[in-house]
Amino acid sequence: MTRRSKHTSFDPDAFWADIQPGEVLLSARGITKQYPGGVLANDRIDFEVRAQEVHAVLGENGAGKTTLMNILFGLIQPDQGAIYLRGQRVHFRSPQDAIRYGIGMVHQHRKLVPAHSVIENILLGHPRAQGILRLREAEEEVAALAETYGFRVDLRAKVWQLTEGEKQVVEILKALYRGAHILIMDEPTSALTPVETEKLLESIERMSEHKLGVVPFITHKLPVVLRISHRVTVLRSGRVAASLDTQDADEQRLAELMVGRPVLFDVQKPPAQEGEPVVQVEGVSARSDKGNLALDNVSFTVRSGQILGVAGVAGNGQHELAEVLAGLRGVEQGRILLNGQEITRAPVLARWQQGVGYTPAERTEVGSIGEFTLVENVAMNYFWDPDYNRHGVLDEAKLRELTEQILEEFRVAAPGPHVKAKTLSGGNLQKVIMGRVLSRRPRLLIANLPAQGLDIGATEFVQQKLLEARAEGAAVIFISEDLDEILMLSDVVAPMYEGRVVDLIPADQADKETIGAMIAGSYQQQEGTP
Amino acid sequence: MTVGGYRVRILRRATLPGWEAALFSVLALGVGLFLFGFVFLFAGASPMQAYQEIFRYAFFNANGIPLTMSRFIFLALSTYAFIVPFRAGEWNIGMTGQIYMGGLAAYAVVYAFGGKVSKDVPLNPALVLPLMVLAAALGGALMGGIAGYLKGRWDVNEIVVTMMLNFIAFWLVSHMIKDGGPFMNVGGRGEGFTLPTSLRAPTVLGMPFTILFVLVLAGALEFLFARTSLGYQIRAAGLSSKAARYAGMDTTRISLWVFLLGGGIAGLAAYHYFAAVPGVYKIPRNYGEFGDLAFFGIICGLIALGNPLATLPVALLFGGLSIGGRYAQGKLHLGFGVDYALMGVLMITLVAFQFFYRYRIVVEPLAPEPRPSGTPAPSDLASYGGE
Amino acid sequence: MLPFILRSLEAAMIFTFAGLGELVNQRGGILNVGLEGIMLFGATLGFVAAQTTESYLVGFLVGVLVGGLLGLLHGVFSISLGVDQVVSGMGIWIFSFGMTTYIGSPFTGPLGMERLPTVLGISPFFYVAVLLAVGIWFVLTKTSLGLAIRSVGETPDVAEVSGIHVARLRYLCVVVGGMLAGFAGALYALYYNPVWNYNFLMGWGFISLALVFFSMWNPFLLFGGALLFGLLWQLSLNPELLLPGLFSRYIWRMVPFAVTVLVLVFISTDWFRARWGATRPQALGQPYHRE
Repeated sequence: MTRRSKHTSFDPDAFWADIQPGEVLLSARGITKQYPGGVLANDRIDFEVRAQEVHAVLGENGAGKTTLMNILFGLIQPDQGAIYLRGQRVHFRSPQDAIRYGIGMVHQHRKLVPAHSVIENILLGHPRAQGILRLREAEEEVAALAETYGFRVDLRAKVWQLTEGEKQVVEILKALYRGAHILIMDEPTSALTPVETEKLLESIERMSEHKLGVVPFITHKLPVVLRISHRVTVLRSGRVAASLDTQDADEQRLAELMVGRPVLFDVQKPPAQEGEPVVQVEGVSARSDKGNLALDNVSFTVRSGQILGVAGVAGNGQHELAEVLAGLRGVEQGRILLNGQEITRAPVLARWQQGVGYTPAERTEVGSIGEFTLVENVAMNYFWDPDYNRHGVLDEAKLRELTEQILEEFRVAAPGPHVKAKTLSGGNLQKVIMGRVLSRRPRLLIANLPAQGLDIGATEFVQQKLLEARAEGAAVIFISEDLDEILMLSDVVAPMYEGRVVDLIPADQADKETIGAMIAGSYQQQEGTP
Repeated sequence: MTVGGYRVRILRRATLPGWEAALFSVLALGVGLFLFGFVFLFAGASPMQAYQEIFRYAFFNANGIPLTMSRFIFLALSTYAFIVPFRAGEWNIGMTGQIYMGGLAAYAVVYAFGGKVSKDVPLNPALVLPLMVLAAALGGALMGGIAGYLKGRWDVNEIVVTMMLNFIAFWLVSHMIKDGGPFMNVGGRGEGFTLPTSLRAPTVLGMPFTILFVLVLAGALEFLFARTSLGYQIRAAGLSSKAARYAGMDTTRISLWVFLLGGGIAGLAAYHYFAAVPGVYKIPRNYGEFGDLAFFGIICGLIALGNPLATLPVALLFGGLSIGGRYAQGKLHLGFGVDYALMGVLMITLVAFQFFYRYRIVVEPLAPEPRPSGTPAPSDLASYGGE
Repeated sequence: MLPFILRSLEAAMIFTFAGLGELVNQRGGILNVGLEGIMLFGATLGFVAAQTTESYLVGFLVGVLVGGLLGLLHGVFSISLGVDQVVSGMGIWIFSFGMTTYIGSPFTGPLGMERLPTVLGISPFFYVAVLLAVGIWFVLTKTSLGLAIRSVGETPDVAEVSGIHVARLRYLCVVVGGMLAGFAGALYALYYNPVWNYNFLMGWGFISLALVFFSMWNPFLLFGGALLFGLLWQLSLNPELLLPGLFSRYIWRMVPFAVTVLVLVFISTDWFRARWGATRPQALGQPYHRE
C-alpha cells in the first residue's frame, strides 16, 4: 500500500528564511488519535512552538506524549486535526516528510546504527548523500556545525563505542545537519549522568538562541523542565491539562497537573531489620555479549532484609551483574555464595530452586511469553515444582488457582487467567512477573529496572512490593538508573561505573551529588571518605 | 484505502482464536485446491473431472484405498517428525535423511540375522521385527539428534544442517544398495535386498500394523504438549528461547530432545514404507522419491498448526491427494509430478494465508473530516500524496 | 588436472552468483531460505525456454525473470504481508520443487544445443561473477545506496526515521537477489549441467545459502568460499584424481555436504562468534513493521 509521493517544489531554505524572534514556527490544532481497541491516545490537543523557545511537553507514561510526538514526526497520522508550519498546513505521511519540512527528532532510545561510524549515521538518508559517499566533505561540514553549538564528538568512531551522551550529540547533529528548525527531544536527560545533563542543558539554551524551536518531552524530571523551558504543556489522559509559562510553575503544581491529584514524593520505608548474609559476591568478573569485560572484580554482600541499590548509567555492567546472579551469564573469575553455599556455576534452574528470584528488565522478551496465557506465564516458575508437577504432568487446576491469587493480590487489570500475556499493558505485565517471582518467596530477589516505563501508580505499587519483600526477610538487589528512586528505597547504594562497583555507601550517608559523580566516573576518592 | 463510502483498513491482530486459525487452514486448503485447478486446465484436463478421479480413486476404490492408507501412515509419521521440533521453534526438514537412516538401520538388523541371502530365510518375527522397528527409530533419532545437538549447543542453522544431512544420507543409501554395496540385491540390480517373507509385518484390519504407531502417537503427542512439563518447556522454548532460558529450562537439551523424538518418528516412517507396506518390502531403486514425499509432512504440519490430532485428517487428505494425483496423472495423460506440483501450490497458498494470522481486514463507514478548531485555515501548502 | 580446475572455477561461478544474490538479500535484513527453490525454477524454466526457442539468450532472460518474480513473491510475503521469513522461504522452496518437477519432466534429458563459448578455457560468466563481487562490495561500502541497505539490515527502525523507505529498499534487495539466484540456476542448467533431471540441482542452493553465512556477509570472502566449494564439488565427482580407489564414488558425493556442516559448526562456535560474530546483520530474519 505504498503511495507514491508527488514531490512538490518545496525549498526549505526559502521557507525557513527570516524567522522573527517569538514567531510561531509550528502549531498543532485539534490533534486526535484513537487506537484500535478504543484507546483515545490524543484528544483534541492544541500546541504551538515559537522561535527561540523551549516548549516542554510534560506527562506521565500513557498520557499521550509518545503519540503526539510520533504525529509531529510523521510516524503516525492523526485521525483528526492539523499541523501548521509558519501558518501553512502540512501533511506528514512519514518521517521523510517531517524531516524535509525541518522537524528534527532526538530519540530517547537512540535511533542510530551501532555498527556504523558517526559520520555514516549522520549521512544516512540525507538528500545530498547521493551516489558515491563523500565522507571527507561531509565531515568538514558537520565539524563546522558542531563548532557552532559547542558539541564535541569523534566523527570516525563507531556508534557502539560512544557513551549515551555522545550518542545524543550525534542525533542532535544529525537533525541539525538535515536542516531541522524544530527539534523534538524525547526524554533528553534520561540515561545521562548529571555532568552530561548539565552540558546538554547548556547546548539546548544555545540552540534556542539560534532561532530554533526546541520541544523536550519529559516524564518525570520536573526540575529539568523548570530549569530549561520557557513554556510547558502538561498532558493528562490524552488531553492538554494545562499550558503555562514556566515562570508561573513549580514542581508541586506540575506534578498535580500531571497526575490529577496531589502527589506525595515519598514511599514510606520502615527501618531495616537486617539478618544473615544471603548473597556474597566475591571478586566476580564477567564478559558482555561483545566480549569485553563488563563486570570487573565486583564484591558485595547483601543481607536478609536489606535492599542493595545498584545505581548507574545504562551499560556500566548492571545488566550483566543481574544475569550473572541469575545464572544466565558465565563468570570469568570470582565466586558467588548463596546462604553460604557456592552457586558460581550452578545452572539457572538450581538457583530458582534454591530461592533466587529474578525480574528482568526485558519484560516482554525475557520475563514473559506473549503468546502464553497468564497461567502458562505463571508456570514459568512452577513447571519444576513438585507441588505443581506430578510425574512430569502439570497440575492445571492448581496453576490456575495460583494465577488467580496473583492477579488479585497484585491488582492486575486482566479479564482472567486465560488471556494471553501480550494483551496486557506494560504495568500489568510487570505486576504479573513480580507477582509470579514473589509468590516463590525468594531469599534473594534481583529486580532489574522494575519500575522503568511504568506510570506513577504502578511505580509506587512495584516499589511497595520491593519493600514488602524486604520486610519479609528477602535480600533485594535493586537495579535502577533513577538516583531518586535508588536513594528512596536502598539500604546500601552501590554505584557502578565501567563494570566496577565504585563504593558501597549506607543510604543515610549517601547523597545524590556524590553518587552522580561516581556513576559518571568523575569521582576522585578523597582521603577519609567512607 | 477507501472503497465507495467505506474505509478498508488492515489492522494487526492482538490475538487469534484457535477456531479462527483452523478456519484459515481449511480456507487455505480450499483456495489451494481451487488454484491447482488451473494446472489441470492448463494441461487440458477438466479440473472437476480430475478432482473426481482423484477422490474416487483415493477414497472409494478397492485398489486405491490401501495405497491411500499406507501413504496416510507415512505422511502422518513424517508430519509428527516435523511438528515436534516445530513446536520448539525449530525446522526439521531432515525427515528425508532421517527416513533413509531409519531404513538402513532396519535392514541392518535383517542383514545381521542373515536375511539378505534369500527372501525365504526363516527368521523369528517375534524377535527380529521389534528389533527392526527399534533400529529404524534409533537410526532416525541419531540422524535427527545431530541437527538437534548442533542447534542447541551452538545455534547452528538447523535448516541448512538437516538439508545437508539429507544429501549425505541419500548418498549413503546409494553406497549401501548400489554398485556392490553390502545391502545390494543378490540379483545385482541397483536396489536393496528383499525382506524375507517371514518378516513381513502383520496387518490390522487389512492395513499395516504401523497404523497403530500413528494412532498412539497422536494421543501421546497431544498429551505431551497439552499436559506435561516437557511439552510445556518445548512450547516455551519455541515461543521465546530467551524466556525459556530465564525460567531455567535447558534449551540445549530441549533442542536435542525434539530432534531425537522427531527423527525417531521419521525412522518409524521409514520402517513403515520400506518394510511394512505390501508390495515394497525393500529399499527400492527410486528411494529418493519416497524420501522427498516426506516434505509433504511440512505442509501437513503447517496446516494442522502443529497439532497432533489435527494431523490425522490433514495427513489422510494429503495421502489421498498424492495417491489420487498419481492415478489421475496416468488416467488423464498428464505429465509426471502432478502430486509434487499440487504439494507446491498448496504450500504457497498456505504461506499467503499466514497473512490472516497476523492481520485482519476491517471495513467501516467513512467518517467526515472534522474541522480543526482555532487558528486560520491557510493554504494547503504541502499536501502531496492526496487523500 | 587443468580441466578439473577449470570445471571447479565454473562451479564456483554458479555458487558466486547465487551466494551474492542471497548476500544482497541478507544485507538488507531479509533471509531467503528458498534460494534452492529460486535456483530450481530459474534452472528449469531457463532450460525449457532455451530448448523450445533454441536461444540461450531467451533461456537466461527467463531464468533472471522468474528469479526476480520469486524474489518479489518472497518480498510480498515477508515484507508486505508480515509472514515469517523462514515460512515464506520454505514455501517458495517447496513450491518450486513441486512445480519444477511437474514442468520439467517432459523435458527430461540433455539440452541438445551447441555449448556456449569459453574465454581462456572457462565460461565468460566467471569473469562477470568476479566483477559482480567487486561491484557489490563497492556499492555496499562506498555508496549511499549501500549505506542505506546496510542500515536497513542492521536497524530498520533507525533507517525509517532517517528518511529511508525501508520496505522499498528491501524489495529492491529481494528482487535483485532473486534475479541473481535465477540467473545462477539458469547458468547451472544451460551451461554447467545441461541435462534436466528430477531435482537435478542437488542442494546447490542450500550450499550457497550456507556460503553466505560463512562469508561473514563480505562479497570477497563469499567468492573465496565459492572457489573452495567449487573445488570440493568437482573432487566429489572425480575422486580418482586425488585418492584413487578410496571409498565408493557415493561416499565421495557426501563430502561437500559434510564439509558444509563442519564449516557451519565452526563458524557457530563461541570461539568464532566472539571474534567475528558481530558482522551478522542485526535485523536479519526479523520482520519490520512501521510504528
